[in-house]
Amino acid sequence: MTNFYDANLVLIQSTFVGLLMALSIQVPLRMGVFSFSGIGCYGVAAYGAAILTIRYETDPLVTILLSALVCGVLNLLLGMMVNRLGGLYLGMATVAFDMIVSVVATNGGDLTGGPTGLFGAITDITMTQVVVICGVVVVALALTERGRLGRRVDTVREDPELAAAMGIRVRDYRLASFVVSGVLGGAAGAVNSLLRSTVSPTDIGFSLVVLALTMIIIGGARSWLGALIGAVIFTWLPSVLEVVGQWQTIIYGVIVALAAVYVPRGLVGLATDGWRRLRRRQPADTVAVADDTTPDRELAALENLAQDTSMGRTS
Amino acid sequence: MLQDLINAVALGSIYLLFALGMSLAWGTIGILNFAHGSIFMFSAFTAYLIVNAVKLPLVAVILIAAIAGAVMSVAVQVLAFEPILRRAKDSRAAEMQILIGGIGVAGVPLAIAQHYTKSNPFGFTNSSFKVDTFDLGGVRITSVQIIIIALALVLGVGIARWLQVSRHGLALRSIGVDPEVSSIMGVDRRRLALTTMTIAGALAGLAGALLTYNLGALTPESGETLILKAFAAIVVGGVGSMAGVVVGSYVLAIAETVVLTQTSGLWVDAVSFGLIFLVLMFRTQGLFGRREVRRT
Repeated sequence: MTNFYDANLVLIQSTFVGLLMALSIQVPLRMGVFSFSGIGCYGVAAYGAAILTIRYETDPLVTILLSALVCGVLNLLLGMMVNRLGGLYLGMATVAFDMIVSVVATNGGDLTGGPTGLFGAITDITMTQVVVICGVVVVALALTERGRLGRRVDTVREDPELAAAMGIRVRDYRLASFVVSGVLGGAAGAVNSLLRSTVSPTDIGFSLVVLALTMIIIGGARSWLGALIGAVIFTWLPSVLEVVGQWQTIIYGVIVALAAVYVPRGLVGLATDGWRRLRRRQPADTVAVADDTTPDRELAALENLAQDTSMGRTS
Repeated sequence: MLQDLINAVALGSIYLLFALGMSLAWGTIGILNFAHGSIFMFSAFTAYLIVNAVKLPLVAVILIAAIAGAVMSVAVQVLAFEPILRRAKDSRAAEMQILIGGIGVAGVPLAIAQHYTKSNPFGFTNSSFKVDTFDLGGVRITSVQIIIIALALVLGVGIARWLQVSRHGLALRSIGVDPEVSSIMGVDRRRLALTTMTIAGALAGLAGALLTYNLGALTPESGETLILKAFAAIVVGGVGSMAGVVVGSYVLAIAETVVLTQTSGLWVDAVSFGLIFLVLMFRTQGLFGRREVRRT
């Protein structure tokens, strides 16, 4: 076990960074906001953390927290600017932001080290700290997927008009998703720079956007578990595919394409569907009863939602 | 100065040939094909493989690339986008799946080309066509640049007119406005979608072959950069507007040339992204686009 851990330390570290990065794209997506600005924040924080560490030798935890906070504010400002865009336009505006960050990093002169980047951001960051950060993030996000808050988030995504009609402040939810996305992207970037002790413009290019997006699409876009599964798969897949040698990029592409066509809700969605089908495969009479109750249950869920939102306004 | 202008116009014409097909598919049948850049590169690569075996003139090379592009584009449509559209629960989900599917598909030809060329640039060195350079009072222009500019203008105006005037164009535009109503009015959406993807792919192949002639060589990765530039050109002009993509391509090329000649460093890459951002911030529908109404 220790052997395995030591031999694959880099991959294990990358998995945690990948998880934070994937979550920074997933949180806005769960609110129906097609924003990739978390990756731009990743870039800002990756450089910010490296600069802080090299010039001022700050404590790693302070560096990470500071980067995350600054990126949360930065992304909120960006979110206020692009808030009226929707769909692919929002996606592309935020991709443009990400790419501008990487162009600025390339042209930043001494501050960012130009095309070669920065080296020597050495700190005493430990894996325990990284795991604790990821754990806190995952627990906090898991809580937003349950109960009232979870239902409100689902409504904001699936039917913003309905949500607005029920008193959910759609705009506030969307802006909150930008803040969370910025904090997560910033934390991911800072953690990555400190773990690797280097950062260069090629680390924060368009391929990172694609990587984060594929992680949550393959894993599942609705739950933190999907991001985790995606992060594990796409961090480890290249080393698993080393068996097939040069053809690994082709297989990688085919897997992504097939998943987009046939498993659009990701592995988590596939598992949920399979579980439901399994439960339905029961004697005929119970199935009939179960079918009868579904509309009622949906109605009850709607009523719950109505109550939640009205309470949300009065409280 | 005049030399820079000519170079900018040639660059803009390449952007236009590339973006024209992407804009056509996006503005009418609503498919933003992220494999377009990959198709562009691989058509040129296919032509390169054939030219290596047989010595061919320019017209034949361009034709091969255009056919290769059309075939690949239709294949992507049939194998990836049609199943997605059939299975997706709503248009927003389909939009995103098409984006991801395109990104996935794009990786395959890229990997094949990288494998064969070892990521080195490839060129039509065996083609019987030799590039001539004309000197017009201190301003130089190559024969390839003339062909590129002429073809871009002819095809840009031609496709815009075709969309406006012909019955097919009308049917295609009606899909862009309301797919369901157009179906009720007897438009065969599937066939028109395939026609559109054929044209888009052929344009990508055409652009690929011409850019390879113009630069002398093409890298397997060049398609990825062009995708983002074409996106900027389309967004600046306005999605769905053919006049828009023409203007957008030249605006982008001229802006890039200005930045390239006036600044040091690598700021030129920021131009397309800056333009995307500015246009989306201040004039979401682009220079020529229709305004979309969204209430929440």
